[in-house]
Amino acid sequence: MTERRSNEPLPGNAPGPGTLARRFGAPRDAVVPRMEDVRVTAPDLARRVTMERTRGRIVIAASIFTALFAAVSVKLALATIFIPMPLRPSDQPHVAVAPKASDVATTIAPASVKAFEMPRARRAMITDRNGEVLAISLPTAAVTANPRALIDPEDAAHKLKSVLKRLDEAQVREKLSDQTKSFVYLARQISPREQMAINDLGIPGVDFERSERRRYPLGRVAAQVLGGVDVDGHGIAGAERHFETRLSEESPPLRLSLDVRVQAVVREELLAAMTEFQAIGACGIVMDVRTGEVIAMVSLPDFDLNDTRTATDDDRSNRAVGRVYEPGSTFKLQTASFALDSGIVHIWNGFDATNPIRIGRFSINDFEGKHRWLAVPEIIAYSSNIGAARMAEAAGTATQRAWMEKLGLLTRTGIELSDSALPLAPPAANWKEAATLTIGFGHGIAVTPLHVVMATGAVSNGGVLMRPTLVAVDPGAPAPTGTRIMQQTTSDTIRKLMRLVVTDGYGKPAEVPGYFVGGKTGTAEKISGHGYNKHSNVSAFMSVFPMNAPHYAVYMMLDEPHANASTHGYATAGWVSAPAAGRVIARIGPMLGLLPETDNAAAIQASLAIPMQPARPPGAAATPVPRASAPVAKTAPPVAPNRAGGSTPVTTPSVPVRAPSVVPPVATPAHDLRREAAARPVQAALVDVGR
Amino acid sequence: MSVMERRLIRETSFGLTSKLWQISWIYVLLLCTLAAVGYVALYSAAGGSAEPYASRHILRFGFGLTLMLSIALVDIRFIARTAWLGYAGAVVLLVLVLKMGHVGKGAQRWIDLGGMQWQPSELMKIALILVLASWFHRASWERMGNPLFLIPPTLAVLVPVGLILKEPNLGTALITAVVGATIFLGAGVRWWKVGLVVAGVALAAPVAYTHLHDYQRARITTFLNPESDPLGAGYNIIQSKIALGSGGMWGKGFLQGTQGHLNFLPEKQTDFIFTMLGEEFGLVGGLALLGLLCLIVVGGMLMALRCRHQFGRLVALGVSMNFFLYVLVNVAMVTGAIPVGGVPLPLVSHGGTAMITVMIGFGLLMSVHVHRDVEFGDGRDEG
Repeated sequence: MTERRSNEPLPGNAPGPGTLARRFGAPRDAVVPRMEDVRVTAPDLARRVTMERTRGRIVIAASIFTALFAAVSVKLALATIFIPMPLRPSDQPHVAVAPKASDVATTIAPASVKAFEMPRARRAMITDRNGEVLAISLPTAAVTANPRALIDPEDAAHKLKSVLKRLDEAQVREKLSDQTKSFVYLARQISPREQMAINDLGIPGVDFERSERRRYPLGRVAAQVLGGVDVDGHGIAGAERHFETRLSEESPPLRLSLDVRVQAVVREELLAAMTEFQAIGACGIVMDVRTGEVIAMVSLPDFDLNDTRTATDDDRSNRAVGRVYEPGSTFKLQTASFALDSGIVHIWNGFDATNPIRIGRFSINDFEGKHRWLAVPEIIAYSSNIGAARMAEAAGTATQRAWMEKLGLLTRTGIELSDSALPLAPPAANWKEAATLTIGFGHGIAVTPLHVVMATGAVSNGGVLMRPTLVAVDPGAPAPTGTRIMQQTTSDTIRKLMRLVVTDGYGKPAEVPGYFVGGKTGTAEKISGHGYNKHSNVSAFMSVFPMNAPHYAVYMMLDEPHANASTHGYATAGWVSAPAAGRVIARIGPMLGLLPETDNAAAIQASLAIPMQPARPPGAAATPVPRASAPVAKTAPPVAPNRAGGSTPVTTPSVPVRAPSVVPPVATPAHDLRREAAARPVQAALVDVGR
Repeated sequence: MSVMERRLIRETSFGLTSKLWQISWIYVLLLCTLAAVGYVALYSAAGGSAEPYASRHILRFGFGLTLMLSIALVDIRFIARTAWLGYAGAVVLLVLVLKMGHVGKGAQRWIDLGGMQWQPSELMKIALILVLASWFHRASWERMGNPLFLIPPTLAVLVPVGLILKEPNLGTALITAVVGATIFLGAGVRWWKVGLVVAGVALAAPVAYTHLHDYQRARITTFLNPESDPLGAGYNIIQSKIALGSGGMWGKGFLQGTQGHLNFLPEKQTDFIFTMLGEEFGLVGGLALLGLLCLIVVGGMLMALRCRHQFGRLVALGVSMNFFLYVLVNVAMVTGAIPVGGVPLPLVSHGGTAMITVMIGFGLLMSVHVHRDVEFGDGRDEG
């Protein structure tokens, strides 16, 4: 025990010497270290000895720790760069790392293979935009033998069994002993490593026959897009079929525009939503609205391309391009686009949505209707069927049909997939007032989901139609050009309307802070038998982000979702598809290099805001005044879409575009729809569906 | 016998403000850096999102940091006096978890406490360090040579190790035993006795192997030859090695790791977080992280050396060893050097209780550092 000999009492809270505490005006006495005589007792000394030993042992322990850290570092270096885990054929179903095109052979070959010439696969590889392998042909071989050339069948069978464990030795022995034949198959689809091992056995009379096997490392991811091959290695569907010639004749990898990371995210979220709402199917698309490149295309249910035995036709069909659906309310954006762009309808115009529109024995109703006059932003935000129908009616049948033709909504999208479907639309002769009304809110016409994505991309990206493509645009190549289909200013308005749906309309669940998501819900009832079925919906959410400088379109659709407690009994798009779209955007945004914009959020949001009831300029008409004749179709030269980023994407297009119509329209008497409908009954059943 | 000695006198009892100044803020900064690395990794593990891992991680760290600083201000002598109470409490929890704990992933390890699920075995390690240190604090070199003196602390190690083995949780039981053994060594147990125990364990290992669970045996066989079952038990190690290998020298870049984001990598937010970082930041990133971890461990040892009483030294040694074992086992596991053991990377992996217990440990370490010069004789209160 230590005793202090000094009798001088120490101040209670004196800080130790040399500490920072002295800066705070502690008494000077207290901080001066004092040398004093103390008595050191025997137990003290004994304890000091132990302390010294402990010190020694701690130093030893610290050295051992440092050494072990060094050892772990060496192990890490070995695992990362010196002896990285090789990718071998046996790992193929799990390979996600793309070998470069130039060194496919060396990457696949085990390190031990040296003198053995690796046979090259003939069919070209398919990769995603970042070079991740989507489809690859692996060289395999069949083992054959000439029994007459064999010296010792017994020994040969035994040796072969030692390499190929799956062989039935007795059966092989029997085959090899059959002197009546000069050619027998012993085994098929052996790996290059096994081939090398058998080659090394050096059995005279044993030979190989070259073949190859198509493998899809990601299995179910992008199954319908790739499509698969038959036993002879020819594409049977999807990209494999469309690019058959290219894949079999040219060896460089085919680089698709897909991004497997985005594809995996979309698939995961769709699967989760499909399970949650017990939907029979689902489909999701992500497209770059500036280039038309399809970044992800998912259709569920799907199948494993490496094991197609259990795949049904439903699994194989690609819902994104191979089936047509009534687009429902997502088409209201199109109606607003042509109505505003034609100059007939202005944003401040009001439309009477007080009462349902009656056509014969059918009526067009609103879901949660407001029963009053609605301005254009209100029609979009509240998804008013009556309002959209009235808007289409005001713009006129000819304008509407010309627009659909111009947007490519009446023909195939041109996507590089063999199974893309043709839209269903009334022929020109039947496209009359009733059809105009229903198509105004997306019914009475059926298109593929990709059509919806393409058209929405065109009206939001500044007004340039980009044809969707599955082939990646090379970074060095000139940007793909599109066709200008509307004025930049109209597109700016559409962007604001889309943003309004997410900030104040049914699309709220899709909001992701910092990404300025804009979109439109669309719930369409499916046709069963002779009419619409109120209980089987197609619920889709069509979104584009970021709305201040549109870059990616995200479409999420559930086929026949069922409401559950969390959606308060609704199976509509706002409840089931919009949240999924929001989750996808939140996850893929960073992957695609877009970070959430939080610094200028308020300013950007302000630039995208639009009032529900925009003020009418003095002298302008409260309701749209129809024009006497259909607008003359204009053809504009191809232009690149607006690629400018930032919060001010609005640039004046360099091509001549039609100025807003200032010509006073000639008034014509309004149609009396009821009389017209009574004269010619509508065939399709029209019911309240737009939400 | 007594001798006189001239000695530098510093005051041993001081107030809260001066205690705050005594805290090694550089060390706190190192821990914050490590937690920040964890935030980055978990942001990536969630596919480029702060939800659901990263934001909770940083909240927990904030809580852990507050806890750590609070413990740092508690007088070390008070801690030494109450060590036995903590130990008794931890043993009770271990018994409770066997009686009524949650069963997760084939073992009964968890217990609900204060809204969180705790692994009492984690708390046990801290309590064991404290109780052993307070026992050996009064031991002279001669007493350390007396086998009878060693019997109580040996029992103090064996009881919790036995209970943890019964859960069963082989990995934690081993780590607990090794932490205990480290304190024995630090306190001055003769080397030959240690050799004897090591030899005994080596002889008992084959016998123990036959009593292991199937999944534990599978881990060991898989370790010896991971390629034997590439789609089954060896999958984790192989995927981890592929991911590391694909990272190369500089990595694929933040959020660009395909193995991790495509879910090829199992448990990427917990056990395999290091692999995730290795894939995205490469060898360079991995070595930088190892360097940071090494600084934290060696920093703890330096604090042990700076301490002028045996209790503090042993506690600092035990806490550093505990942290070091986490790191070593985790990194060795993901690089394929030892069998997969389900050990998280402290302050980086997602997981609440491991973070809190590690921060409690660092709080004790910091308390040792703050009170490094206090007069603290043979365990009796001299304050």
